Amino acid sequence: MKTRPFLALFVSPAALAALALVAALAAILQFAFRAFVPGSMEPGGLTLANFAALLRPLYADVFLQTVAICLMTALATLIVAYPLAYAIVRSRSIALKSFLLITALTPMFLGEVVRTYSWIIVLGNSGFINSILLAIGVVNRPVQLMFTTFGVVVALVHVTLPVMVIMLAAALSHVDLDYEKAATSLGAGPVRAFLTVTLPLSMPGIVAGVTTAFAWTFSAFATPQMIGGGRVPMVSTLIYQLGFSSFNFPFAAALSVTGLALTVAVLALAKAALAPLERLGAH
Amino acid sequence: MPAERIPPGSDAPAAAAARRIGVQIDGVTKRFGAFTALHEAWLKIEQGTFMTLLGPSGCGKTTLLNLLAGFLEADGGEIFVDGQLMTETPPYAREIGVVFQNYALFPHMNVARNVGYGLAARGVPKREIAQRVDEMLALVKLADFGHRKPKELSGGQQQRVALARALVIRPKLLLLDEPFSALDKNLRGSMQVEIKEIQRRLGVTTIFVTHDQSEALSMSDRIAVMSAGRIRQVGTPDEIYRRPTDRFVAAFVGDVNVLPARLERRQGDQASVLVGGVRAQVPAETIEGLAPGAAVDLFVRPDALAIGEAGGGVPGTIAAHVYQGSHVDMVVDCPAAAGGRLLVRVPGTEAPGLWPVGRVVGIGPTAGGVAFPPEAA
Repeated sequence: MKTRPFLALFVSPAALAALALVAALAAILQFAFRAFVPGSMEPGGLTLANFAALLRPLYADVFLQTVAICLMTALATLIVAYPLAYAIVRSRSIALKSFLLITALTPMFLGEVVRTYSWIIVLGNSGFINSILLAIGVVNRPVQLMFTTFGVVVALVHVTLPVMVIMLAAALSHVDLDYEKAATSLGAGPVRAFLTVTLPLSMPGIVAGVTTAFAWTFSAFATPQMIGGGRVPMVSTLIYQLGFSSFNFPFAAALSVTGLALTVAVLALAKAALAPLERLGAH
Repeated sequence: MPAERIPPGSDAPAAAAARRIGVQIDGVTKRFGAFTALHEAWLKIEQGTFMTLLGPSGCGKTTLLNLLAGFLEADGGEIFVDGQLMTETPPYAREIGVVFQNYALFPHMNVARNVGYGLAARGVPKREIAQRVDEMLALVKLADFGHRKPKELSGGQQQRVALARALVIRPKLLLLDEPFSALDKNLRGSMQVEIKEIQRRLGVTTIFVTHDQSEALSMSDRIAVMSAGRIRQVGTPDEIYRRPTDRFVAAFVGDVNVLPARLERRQGDQASVLVGGVRAQVPAETIEGLAPGAAVDLFVRPDALAIGEAGGGVPGTIAAHVYQGSHVDMVVDCPAAAGGRLLVRVPGTEAPGLWPVGRVVGIGPTAGGVAFPPEAA
């Protein structure tokens, strides 16, 4: 007797989609090991030259800078998102809760391009920040914010914020308010109660949020492309340039594969390093 | 608020002067929006007393506990602990130990760190923390459990840890928020005895919140019965049980039967009422202002009723026997009684043989009860 009669029926679309994904990944993987023939869309014979080229300082630097930007973004997002998530979970006012939740989550529905455009308006030389700084006389010529790592990180924080807020809020909602009350009644001030009780107990959410933000930022394309304008190279923008300006698909494929492997490696490393922290919050 | 006001429910001044006041609650009010959770509560608790706040859910007892701990701010009135004004003191400076309903043991710390948390927060040196934690764990009989995580402990053990954690800071006041509700029935009894014993040994003023009247009667030095945001009566368990001053208290604490009766006459602080031709003695204070012949409701405990032949007392029909070992609870259909039923507690085990189910009988009071004016319809 079949215990799950619809299993095959329901799984088959997913299996087809998975098969297509695997095929695409396999295609990219085989492209990565093929030679680039300038002027031709067709790759040449098998070679390891693409991966050898990655070791050139120019490309190695892009990888390092990408990892640095991802780390900065993940940590900055954590710092911005934590108080927001805390307020959303702990606020007793429904109105404030809803307002914060909508503010935190709206960017998610706007799409990366629209969000990034809004940051061009804010960060540009005649943008919001510089007009104010010039008007109140703090500076006498615009501060360069566009096309800088700082600008890219600020915009990326905005992109990753909603996911981080959701993950932290989920973790914090599992931290019983009674723990904080207990700490307080035992003589811990608000700061001590937060650092010794709330923060460690929300650690699973922090670990999940930071690793997700890292992976998201690594694959972000529109934001570094538009805010960085080519002057803040990241792996994703480099892949685009190589693939669609130079039509060097094999090298672009090698970069993609390496980027994917690096992300997986960094996440695995982070997971291992943060495991003791995560166990703190295990209930 | 007028200073000369005599606070309802507070102790007589003479008794209060005998021992120092541990907790004084002066006209404390708490509102949540339009809902008044606590309406001008007045209460004085002597140092070292085990005081129980007893009432059904929503009566304001937990609100009062949270106000004492400082987790809520009062909308009016003052709270004093050991003579010190607490109203403006933040919870972390109140020196009040709290045992939570779910214990709220920090899951990421072992038992020793849980118990030592309050001492670490006070900057007590490590060596002294270790020593005091050991002493306290020995007191709650968990001497070898310091290295365990809370989730590796049974419910009763978790409760002991919660108690040790609250007591190790040598609090001026210990608050127990329904601490037995998560324990199974057998464990509950032994934990009650144990907590009472530790409380008496340390002499710490304790406020215990519960909705369970048998818990309240068995553990308390004094009980404050609450309902609908008000303190209805404060007294010893025996006073609350034997001489309720309020219909609500009479009905909430212990099993009770309500029978219609008539006031016969009043004599000093006693009065007599007639119920189905049988006389019963009641305190006069609860029916002040009523003239002889006035209708009253007689509240009488199941063990203060007796079953007799039909024709005497209030007529009824035996509906069921409930064997309880040392006594038998007889359920009697009685149209005259509130709810249409009476519960009569007969000592020994002969009653079912004498009064089989279906037998028409007469029920009358054997001992006193308490009478109240009939409820306004």
